[in-house]
Amino acid sequence: MKTDEVSLDVEGVSVAYPNGHQALSDASFRLGAGTICALVGVNGSGKSTLFKSIMGFVNPTAGRVRINGMPVKESLKKHLVAYVPQSEDVDWQFPVSVWDVVMMGRYGAMNFMRIPRAADKAQVEESLRRVSMWEFRDRQIGELSGGQKKRVFLARALAQGGRVILLDEPFTGVDVKTEEAIIALLHELRKSGAIIFVSTHNLGSVPEFCDQVVLINRTVLAYGPTADVFTAQNLAAAFGGVLREFQFERSTIQSHDGRAVTVLSDDERPLVFGKDGHLEYMDRGKHEELLRKRREEHE
Amino acid sequence: MTEFLQSLTVPFQYDYMIRAIWVSALVGGACGFLSPFVTLKGWSLMGDALSHAVVPGVVIAYIFGFPFALGAFIAGLLAAGAMAFIRAQSRIREDATIGIVFTSFFALGLVLISLFPSGMDLKTILYGNILAIADSDILQVIGISAATLLVIAFKWRDLMLYCFDPNQARSLGLRANVLHITLLALLAATCVAALQAVGAILVLAMLITPGATAYLLTDRFGTMMWLSAALGVATSLAGAYASYYINGATGGCIVTLQTLVFLAAFVFAPKRGMLASRRAMRTDVFEINQPRMDANERQ
Repeated sequence: MKTDEVSLDVEGVSVAYPNGHQALSDASFRLGAGTICALVGVNGSGKSTLFKSIMGFVNPTAGRVRINGMPVKESLKKHLVAYVPQSEDVDWQFPVSVWDVVMMGRYGAMNFMRIPRAADKAQVEESLRRVSMWEFRDRQIGELSGGQKKRVFLARALAQGGRVILLDEPFTGVDVKTEEAIIALLHELRKSGAIIFVSTHNLGSVPEFCDQVVLINRTVLAYGPTADVFTAQNLAAAFGGVLREFQFERSTIQSHDGRAVTVLSDDERPLVFGKDGHLEYMDRGKHEELLRKRREEHE
Repeated sequence: MTEFLQSLTVPFQYDYMIRAIWVSALVGGACGFLSPFVTLKGWSLMGDALSHAVVPGVVIAYIFGFPFALGAFIAGLLAAGAMAFIRAQSRIREDATIGIVFTSFFALGLVLISLFPSGMDLKTILYGNILAIADSDILQVIGISAATLLVIAFKWRDLMLYCFDPNQARSLGLRANVLHITLLALLAATCVAALQAVGAILVLAMLITPGATAYLLTDRFGTMMWLSAALGVATSLAGAYASYYINGATGGCIVTLQTLVFLAAFVFAPKRGMLASRRAMRTDVFEINQPRMDANERQ
């Protein structure tokens, strides 16, 4: 067993805010090393509260979060948890360059005055190159496209060397090419044993790149391999009546889909269910291969 | 001609003018270094509040004969504490909370002055009187400015990260609440120092205008800090000096100069100025019709 094998244990976590709002109750799940896991739920289902308790911003009123068996505070000191914020949460007019932002990932490892050493600079350069943003290192962050902005913050997580990486809506405002690039990078990280935990509304892309799913609505409704958890019944339960469901006339459904297609959409790319679970209409052959690969990856 | 040159050096023949000039410059520098943090954190209103809330502290200090800086600093921190407490314990919004607290403190100061009229001039507190500054007060200003500069010299990167992305600061294991309180304490301390130079009403200008001006001129935080400090020093030097000739209030002269520099930057700043934005808008409209060659690179 590798020494840097990470794990994330959420054990019976309940969070209540001072105003009395019970955001989470008795949420439990476990993620082992080398996974890309989607966190799916309606707005207000406690996704961001769950993220906050994994990062130690809120203290659970009951239960506990363990990272590598350690309490959150201890794991933060070891810079194990990296966070890629939602674009709306960033002040894009702040006078910092791409380089500055990625260097912020190294602060935890630096000395008292945060003066970067050669090793820090090398790490920042490598991270920027990995997301193909090295050429943009001197740009002010507001002068980037949506996809480039995302990649900068991803590079910051890389520079930090986090083993548990939390991503908040990584695909909003991102073009398809960047989405593919981000997913490819996440696959690399998974291979290196990291835990990638992605909060997303983009239901349609979940089966494509996530091998596990945690479904929440004020508590964990289900978690496990995508194929088992990301089902029409579970999603209906998680979203209640919030999901848009499209009914197709039978005539438009081809026979190889088993004439039983359901489309579920939150607010982004719809999720399409057919007889073998998820359907990917654009390229059917590739889709079946993809499903097989996911299954193998999980085993 | 020699007469004219001689008349330029007249202010330097008076001890009180020399003192006023260099004390103003010191205060301007300390406020200038802090200014980028205050403007980027969005604490302008907070700065205004603190500068008024220190008034009862000054009055009490004069009544009981302990250093005015101590009284003012304690009053400032009490006000900040009161705001935090009210916000945490009620549903009142932040701006309303700030409004309630700082007017209460200021009103208390007015009441105290009218109750104990001896030796305390309201005008000195409100408008400052750097020409008549006492030696003991100069020592206090030096102490405060030195402490402020020292903290910023060692910790500006941490404070910058805290202003830009407090969540990242926390997730790296930095103590965000310590950074928050540090920034607040620096704000209160510089308010106290600037009180001497320009008075309670204009303190805010010393804390906001240099930073806001620098923000229009650069996209790098480090540069912004130095620019802002240089502006603070230069306008304070020149303002105090000019006040001798026009026989005007020192504080008013300093702040008027800062405003003039700000207006110049607002209109003429090379990238963020009004004229530059207009130019950029025109070129953008032009580019929509004739796409530039590097459109691909920008995605």
